Amino acid sequence: MNEVCFKNIDKDQCWSLTTYEASGGYSVWRKILKGEYTPEQIINELKTSGLRGRGGAGFPTGLKWSFMPRNAEGQKYIVCNSDEGEPGTCKDRDILRFNPHAVIEGMAIGSFVMDATVGYNYIRGEFIEPFDRFEGALKEAYETGLLGKNINGSEVSFDLYAHLGAGAYICGEETALLESIEGKKGQPRFKPPFPANVGLFGKPTTINNTESFASVPDIMAHGGQWFADLGVENSGGTKLFSVSGHVANPANFEVSMGMPFKDLLELAGGMRHGAKLKAVIPGGSSTPVLTAEVAMNMTMDYDGIDKAGSMLGAGSVIVMDDSTCMVEALTRLAHFYYDESCGQCTPCREGTGWLYRVLKRIMDGKGKAEDIDLLMGVQEKIMGNTICALGDAAAMPVESFLRNFRDEFEYYIEHGKSMVKG
Amino acid sequence: MLEIEIDGQLVNAEPGEMVIAVTDREGISVPRFCYHKKLSISASCRMCLVDVEGAPKPQPACSTPVADGMKIHTQNDKAKASQKAVMEFLLINHPLDCPICDQGGECELQDVAVDYGSDVSRFSEGKRIIAPSDIGPLIQTDMTRCIHCTRCVRFGSEIAGIMEMGGTGRGEDLKIEPFLKEGITSELSGNMIDVCPVGALTSKPFRYELRSWQMNSINSIARHDLVGSNLYAQTYKGNVKRLASGDNDAVNETWISDRDRFSYEGLTHDNRLLAPQIKVAGQWKEVEWDVALDFAVKGLKNNILNSRNVQKLGGLASATATTEELHLLQKLLREMGCENLDYRLNIKDLDNAIHLQSNIKLADLEHIDQAIVIGSNIRLEQPMINHRLRKAQLAGAGITTLNVKEFDFNYKTNDIIVAPNEIANTLAGVLRVLVEKSAEEVPAYLLAVTPCAQAIDIASSLLNSDKTVLILGEHVVNNAQAASIANLITEIAKLSNSLTLNLTVTANALGAQRVNFVPNSTGMNVNEMLAAEMRAFVLLDVYPEYDFHHLDEALNTLLNNDVFVISLNGFKNDLVAQYSDVMLPMAAMYETSGTHVNINHEMQSFSAAVGAPGESKPAWKILKVLADLLELPGFHYENSTQVLSEVAHQMTPVHEYDTAINLDKSTVEVETIWTHSPYHTDALLRHATSLRASKIGQINTASINAATAKSLSLSDSDTYLGVPVDITETMADQCVFISSNQATNTGAL
Amino acid sequence: MISDNAKKQIDSWIEKYPEGKQSSAVMEALKIIQKENNNQLTHDSIQAVADYLDMPGIAAAEVATFYENYNHQPVGKHIIRFCHNISCMLNGADDLISHLETKLGVKTGEVTDDGLISVKKVECLGACVGAPMFQIGDQYYENLTIDKIDKIVDGLK
Ligand SMILES: Cc1cc2nc3c(=O)[nH]c(=O)nc-3n(C[C@H](O)[C@H](O)[C@H](O)COP(=O)(O)O)c2cc1C
Ligand code: SF4
Ligand code: FES
Repeated sequence: MNEVCFKNIDKDQCWSLTTYEASGGYSVWRKILKGEYTPEQIINELKTSGLRGRGGAGFPTGLKWSFMPRNAEGQKYIVCNSDEGEPGTCKDRDILRFNPHAVIEGMAIGSFVMDATVGYNYIRGEFIEPFDRFEGALKEAYETGLLGKNINGSEVSFDLYAHLGAGAYICGEETALLESIEGKKGQPRFKPPFPANVGLFGKPTTINNTESFASVPDIMAHGGQWFADLGVENSGGTKLFSVSGHVANPANFEVSMGMPFKDLLELAGGMRHGAKLKAVIPGGSSTPVLTAEVAMNMTMDYDGIDKAGSMLGAGSVIVMDDSTCMVEALTRLAHFYYDESCGQCTPCREGTGWLYRVLKRIMDGKGKAEDIDLLMGVQEKIMGNTICALGDAAAMPVESFLRNFRDEFEYYIEHGKSMVKG
Repeated sequence: MLEIEIDGQLVNAEPGEMVIAVTDREGISVPRFCYHKKLSISASCRMCLVDVEGAPKPQPACSTPVADGMKIHTQNDKAKASQKAVMEFLLINHPLDCPICDQGGECELQDVAVDYGSDVSRFSEGKRIIAPSDIGPLIQTDMTRCIHCTRCVRFGSEIAGIMEMGGTGRGEDLKIEPFLKEGITSELSGNMIDVCPVGALTSKPFRYELRSWQMNSINSIARHDLVGSNLYAQTYKGNVKRLASGDNDAVNETWISDRDRFSYEGLTHDNRLLAPQIKVAGQWKEVEWDVALDFAVKGLKNNILNSRNVQKLGGLASATATTEELHLLQKLLREMGCENLDYRLNIKDLDNAIHLQSNIKLADLEHIDQAIVIGSNIRLEQPMINHRLRKAQLAGAGITTLNVKEFDFNYKTNDIIVAPNEIANTLAGVLRVLVEKSAEEVPAYLLAVTPCAQAIDIASSLLNSDKTVLILGEHVVNNAQAASIANLITEIAKLSNSLTLNLTVTANALGAQRVNFVPNSTGMNVNEMLAAEMRAFVLLDVYPEYDFHHLDEALNTLLNNDVFVISLNGFKNDLVAQYSDVMLPMAAMYETSGTHVNINHEMQSFSAAVGAPGESKPAWKILKVLADLLELPGFHYENSTQVLSEVAHQMTPVHEYDTAINLDKSTVEVETIWTHSPYHTDALLRHATSLRASKIGQINTASINAATAKSLSLSDSDTYLGVPVDITETMADQCVFISSNQATNTGAL
Repeated sequence: MISDNAKKQIDSWIEKYPEGKQSSAVMEALKIIQKENNNQLTHDSIQAVADYLDMPGIAAAEVATFYENYNHQPVGKHIIRFCHNISCMLNGADDLISHLETKLGVKTGEVTDDGLISVKKVECLGACVGAPMFQIGDQYYENLTIDKIDKIVDGLK
């Protein structure tokens, strides 16, 4: 446990440069400054490590970095996604608070690989404490001569800035995030072109999640194989799981990929008050909900959760006990997507409101028998038809809640009240 | 060239093309709302989703680039399911008030809904309603109908060059609206009506009038400027009800200016002259046409023909007339032996008149890499030409302006502010640099010229660019060195290999030149006529207080009891009524057939969209009958096309003019430049109520800088020549720039 | 309209972005102006920010109305932003919000009579393992209980 992003978490002033360097921090970056690495080496190491994007989509980081036209003329950018807004997710906040230098070093390494001499860390607007920590770390790094132009007389330059959001979940979507840095509404761009070709300010850009970046320095320091071996096939390394909901000890846990869910639940102190597990959302609110039975037989890695019928997502494990009204839970999630839809594309703008209103009506005791089919129909019409994945994110919970807990919805419609809460 | 397969059919495509461009070319219909061929792609409405083999999700045709061997299905179950889904979403919050919507019958949503919508909406949650808002006199909004396609927003930021509309709020609360309290102000704003696929943005003057299918649509040409934008006049029961832009990439692409779009309102203004009138014993009397024409002929005979003093006859026309009308009037006069004719009524000194070629095509303007604009607020004065320059600038061209005032451009310019009497000198500086760079000898008139820093900059920008254009605007027409300025520009163009664009003439002035509506050496020009003892005039569409530079002299001459004046006008005018003896009501724009020569030197012909109101008649017919009654030969025309073919068979006249350059400065203490504000340049515009109410229509300022204001003892609350003073530091010294929606202040200039 | 102090702060943000991309600073500029203006944005203040950053007013208005952290209606000196998303809900956020409403005598969205506090229900603030939680100003308060809330709220002035 706690071997990579959180390895210093128990130390005093774990966010300071001193602590970070004492545990080997910036050793990779210093080597790069001395010319001891080539970009290809780093990409290969990353590929070996099996690191996959921790922002939700799980795209192999090494491969992503190799897409950047490193040798193209002109400015290129590297951007860190610390927008963290998916319900259930709260790991990047802790990385920023407790290990900001790992993010900086990870980004610096990436900047070298991709020849992106300027970087931005997009931190969600509410994260003032993490922002201050990150700014503090940046200051330390600049003062120590780890950032800037022609650092230590080398050929390498890297300037890194923090950008603050202002409250919009959609800015976690990478192209909406770029729009937001450009001072616009966070409306996702359609792809192609992809950011690697036309990104921030129209320049080639790579975007990774905070945890992805924070994992890079240790991967490079200990070798890709070391990281891969921490995890399982197809899911290298450790992963931060934010376990929240009805558990005795909700917290972020950095554990090896492939850990059985029931062990993770154990780590989180088990079910609160010994209640019975009813459902688990394993990867953040947009990933399909699983029944207790399925969850208890699942391992926490990409393939394991996939096999169980959901997704690892951002590793945000929301645990629900049998006091939970699934109609209420879904309505709350539907409200979230309705509230956070950017409004740009038709299915999401119109469909998320429709879903929410039907659910709300059911909650108000005015459900109709045909509402379940209606909800299924609407979610199906959103799915796959939108510019970005928010549409899918809004549709998937509806589908999975209705599929797994249909009886609760039928009961609510028929009786005008919750089967669980009465 | 690649090959792709669409619905089983093999078609060719260019690399980089979007699927929708291919389907459009092939006539395969793919529904769409946000896509517009002249706007950037937003891919947000999702209506154009098609099935691309191998892609897990349906792909938007508007933003999916073609790839060799791609197989696309626009009609299979997967594509149809997505399209129907999007349609259903679009309709849940749409009011479905088609029966009372102005877009009814030409609504893209309605059209597509018929094909894709399901009849029963399962949506029963209550529709979104957006409170109405007023965005100005030209565009009516009903945002409850908006489908958020953002075409209007993109039009603003990409084409109009000012982002006025935007999408505020997010999600379902996304609302398309302007931010400014004054609403929409762009000179191209009406195009939003055309791009809006639904009835959210409609024409305010047209509101609630009619359904599109009740109207006839006739191709026509706008005639307020040198562009001659192509458009459709939509008519109903003999009235023009609405204008919509037409497509012509060589002229106006697919846009028209607000000036062109809304001027038709003037056609039905109460002030139209509807019946022929003659003045008997100082009293006006409405009469039949034959009586009026008889009266006119008698007047001409009594005053001119019988006494054989045809040199005391003059013919003056406004450049808004059609080429045919101008041709017939000059022919009529010349057949009588009269060589006194002119259309250049606004020129102070015709010995100092501008002669400058226009030798660049509109479409080429967007490919230049350096333009020098001299004496023009080109954005408001020539909106469609400005649009081309803007495109050039966005593509990297440098635009330098040499003006007496800093104007508000919708692209980046390098503004050089100079007093009117410094323009020639500055250009002389440019020329001197160019002459020195070439091997040529420095001509005498340049010997005393020391190029200023700005002149050196201009010269080097011209030398360092490939495709350059020099544009001369209307502010210099009456500059004390107007002719020299034009000649300097011609010289600069030669040495810098630049093209030139002469915007000092406008409307159909090129048509007037084509039919030689200027006197030869034996005749008198307008200013000479006004100073001579005349006995008769034929005036074609002249409104004295707006058209004559020398208004006092004009009135002096015309009001003389011994002068017999025949006026052809579309609108009533008090001064015209005072000095005329006969008033013949003529058809206005869209009421007559004719031809307009645009800046591309293209003759663009149009037919009448509607009949002329009341007793008024097309001027070409009036002139033809007048000629017949005068028993002049060669007027056996049956239609205006025959007149045009006569023009076409004539040689374009070539005039010698003075190419001398004289750099003596004027000695006037404070120079005044008077221009008609953009929506007051001709009689039809002056009667177009909604345009007049718009922000541009309200422009009426005498701009002056603080120092000059002080020297004239003027403050912000004063008027100058009757025009409200605006003290601004963006003005050059020792001059006043007037852009006015009033008539020229009598005798003041 | 924009104080010198605010200008200085905005300028320090502008410096982070490439030349000519000053509108990237609009989100912070709006926050800075909002803070100086009773936590609220007005039409004129949005225009002032737009002018300062040389961008169209409507573009600044789009931003000001898109993001959740800007207020266009009067709010309290302190805004309690109470998360009511899933993890907080599972941990009793709804009851706590009711408690807070009763305690303050306002509904969510309203301001207390003395103008000191307003309550707003917000979506996930990214502190789910500390649920239930709310944010006041720059500060997060986690693992809330009725007692804890009372203490925090009573300490606001
Ligand atoms: C609606 C939506 C919200 C997202 N939110 C986040 C987020 O808060 N943080 C994040 O890292 N990625 C988020 N993503 C994923 C990003 O688009 C992107 O895939 C990710 O930042 C890439 O980094 P990675 O490869 O390191 O995972 C979101 C995606 C969508 C569609
Ligand atoms: S007003 Fe019309 S053009 Fe503008 S977004 Fe709405 S539907 Fe599209
Ligand atoms: S036309 Fe393609 S998404 Fe709108």
